[in-house]
Amino acid sequence: MAVRASSEGAAAAADPEGAPPLEVSDSFEEFARAPSLEAVDRLARAVLADATWPTVRAWNRSGRSAVGCFPVYTPQELIHAMGMLPVALHGGGETIEISHADAALGSFLCSISKSTLEMGLTGRLAPFRAFVFPYICDVSRNLEGIFPRAVPGAATHMLHLPQNFRSAATVPFLVAEYRRLLRVLESAGGSPYRPDRLADSIELFNRQRAEIARWTEIKRRDPSRISLTESYLVRRLGGLLPREVHLELLRRMRAAVEDRVPRPKDSVRVLLVGSFCEQPTLDLLDLLEQVGCYVVDDELLQLYRWHPAVDPTGDPLENLARAYVESPLDIGVRATPTTKGEAILGRVAAAGAQAVLFLTAKFCEPALEDIVLYRAALDREKIPSLHLEFEERSSALDQSRLQLETFVESILFA
Amino acid sequence: MGASTEEPSFLVSARDRQREMIEAYYADLATAGGAKRPVAYMLVGGNLTEIVRSFGYEVVFPEIVALNCAIKHVSLPNILQAEAQGYGLDVCGYVKNDLGLQQLGGQTPFGRIPPPDLLVCSFSGCYVYVKWWEALAEKFGCPLFLLDVPYLRDERPPTEDLGYIVAQLNEFIAFLEKASDRRFDPASLRRTLAHSRAAEEGWVRYLASGARRPSPIEAYFEAVFHMFPINVLRGTEEAARFYATLNAEVDERVRSGAYPVPEEKVRLVVEGVPPYPNYRTFWDFFRKWGAVSVAATYPKVGGLFDRGFLHDPARPLESIAEYALGAYVNQSWPLRRKLIEEYVREFAADAVLIHGIKSCRSFTAGQGDLRDRLIHDLGIPTLYIESDHEDPRYFAPAQIKNRMDAFFESLDRRRGGAAEPLRGAP
Repeated sequence: MAVRASSEGAAAAADPEGAPPLEVSDSFEEFARAPSLEAVDRLARAVLADATWPTVRAWNRSGRSAVGCFPVYTPQELIHAMGMLPVALHGGGETIEISHADAALGSFLCSISKSTLEMGLTGRLAPFRAFVFPYICDVSRNLEGIFPRAVPGAATHMLHLPQNFRSAATVPFLVAEYRRLLRVLESAGGSPYRPDRLADSIELFNRQRAEIARWTEIKRRDPSRISLTESYLVRRLGGLLPREVHLELLRRMRAAVEDRVPRPKDSVRVLLVGSFCEQPTLDLLDLLEQVGCYVVDDELLQLYRWHPAVDPTGDPLENLARAYVESPLDIGVRATPTTKGEAILGRVAAAGAQAVLFLTAKFCEPALEDIVLYRAALDREKIPSLHLEFEERSSALDQSRLQLETFVESILFA
Repeated sequence: MGASTEEPSFLVSARDRQREMIEAYYADLATAGGAKRPVAYMLVGGNLTEIVRSFGYEVVFPEIVALNCAIKHVSLPNILQAEAQGYGLDVCGYVKNDLGLQQLGGQTPFGRIPPPDLLVCSFSGCYVYVKWWEALAEKFGCPLFLLDVPYLRDERPPTEDLGYIVAQLNEFIAFLEKASDRRFDPASLRRTLAHSRAAEEGWVRYLASGARRPSPIEAYFEAVFHMFPINVLRGTEEAARFYATLNAEVDERVRSGAYPVPEEKVRLVVEGVPPYPNYRTFWDFFRKWGAVSVAATYPKVGGLFDRGFLHDPARPLESIAEYALGAYVNQSWPLRRKLIEEYVREFAADAVLIHGIKSCRSFTAGQGDLRDRLIHDLGIPTLYIESDHEDPRYFAPAQIKNRMDAFFESLDRRRGGAAEPLRGAP
């Protein structure tokens, strides 16, 4: 490989046009004390546009370590309990140009895998001490195998997330799998594992999950109160900030949202499905509501909604494993044979959606294969649906706009 | 280099015997199904064929059906049918062939594929397996068992992982007893495993002969052709007998000097799934340059038997668990890289050829990094080309041929054109 990770971190990742890296305070108080949702929105956009991981650099300044977690699910509580910052790696978004990763990975692969590897090959992931790649698809799994060559010096771990949810042996296996992850994290500078610390972390993440559930409920109940992009950006910060800071941010901003006066307009209530791993551009998310879709539920950032609250008492490691295995979630990266149709109809009903929008990343096979089964059930019930594909750097939205407008009009004026 | 225009040298009586076995297999399948001769669908990687056969099931491998369709040039209508159902351009070609074929009634040029009475998903090395079997479960509404096989990240499988698989295998046996209304017969399973082991030993001996100079076998194109018994008929006596026949012919080749190409000029290790719709054309691109595959990874997708693993009737479930865990594409990239590097050394290869598959991310994602490692870290000449294993629309013959010609020519030039061809000596 011509390019290898640089230890210079932010310098290696500097904006090619010369914009200085964003500096975040050590205490993250600009997030915790943000005066308004608009201010949070601006901060989040600035953080996402800066490929030097400003929040991670701020965390590292006090000698702590960060762990990059590829989507969709990693037990972040384990990382937090070891005194490390779990950071959601959601690809390079619109900021990364692919120059080297194509050659290492191959042509017909999703943008998120390429931009993540590109960040590794160009030194942009230097702020991380370790990486976790859960087995959510073959690309994520294989990416782990080539990461040590791309980012030498950092620990990498492929987390086998089981798919047999009926076996009595699955929870014990997952406990063993989590212990394997703990050993990797310890070798990467994490504190020794202590069950009491994990129990504390579980309680913290339970509070974050509960708060995000309240945000989801607001969007379902009264979608004009907050835009999809606002809600998305607040949630997205959850994978980039210390969770204590994020929790405070969520609470304060929810109060601000609830103070807003709703201004409903003619729109279609839409369930957004398929973007559970690679994330659509902010422009594309904006477009959905511009053309008249109220996204009343979505699969974006499923990490915070994978399972309900975890019991922090007893054996916290086993409880965390059990929560993963017993989750009722039905998405493309979780084996749920014979329940696909029932699941999508149940989600439509729960969200009070009128239609389903499948927004899938190009080459995302788990999402692409589910769509056929979902659509068969939706067609039977005469629930309209539309499928659009996206890539991280797809900036031309004209065709998507046209398709969306036609879709919305066909429902509103039917 | 002089071009070889002769026909590929097959192992003739083995080829005829295999053809009879394939015809008999599909003829039997055509009348299978229902309570008397129930049909189980299984995947090749990490499959549980011995257990399923011991319960009296006929076994269908839709991946094998798909590649047979591709090699017979009938995959495209099935793929187009699946695309009409909504399966996108980027979905695995095997999946689309199967789901299209099912929708079209299951008729192929080699026989009718019966619908499943049971679905067994060995989630070993390919996430698409899970999605594919979900689609079949929705379509047919028959029972499905999913064996979750942890990804192999260490050379020595962790005991927790093996214990997890063995526990699931015990649950699978209870599941089969209920589904088939038959009692589990451990003696029957041990007998089946003994047949498997005999076939595996014969297959290993065949593959090892690629180390001879010149190689008496084509370890990619011929070996892929001879994978049918080890993958589809494993656990039967006839599969074991087949490899005895095959090895007798290899011995005869060595004695008579009848080698896969008249003059062996380049010894290759090949990584990746073949472009089945253009199998013969692709092979010709090798033969033209006297290039012979002496080892390959793809013939190991049904089991890495050549690296010391064999089913063991004395440890039935434990050895099945080890088998499932060690499937080639269930191995991490560091393990895959190591295997390929060992093949290059042990089989005295001159170069590596990687064939990437557009719609198979499990095999393909990371092959570019492998190429980089081989060329830049180890100095092994390596060519990476791409097409598809199932969809003929993605095979660009002129482009592939040009790249292969340039590669072989540069190999020749690199050696100063001085490499003497290795001629077979009786």
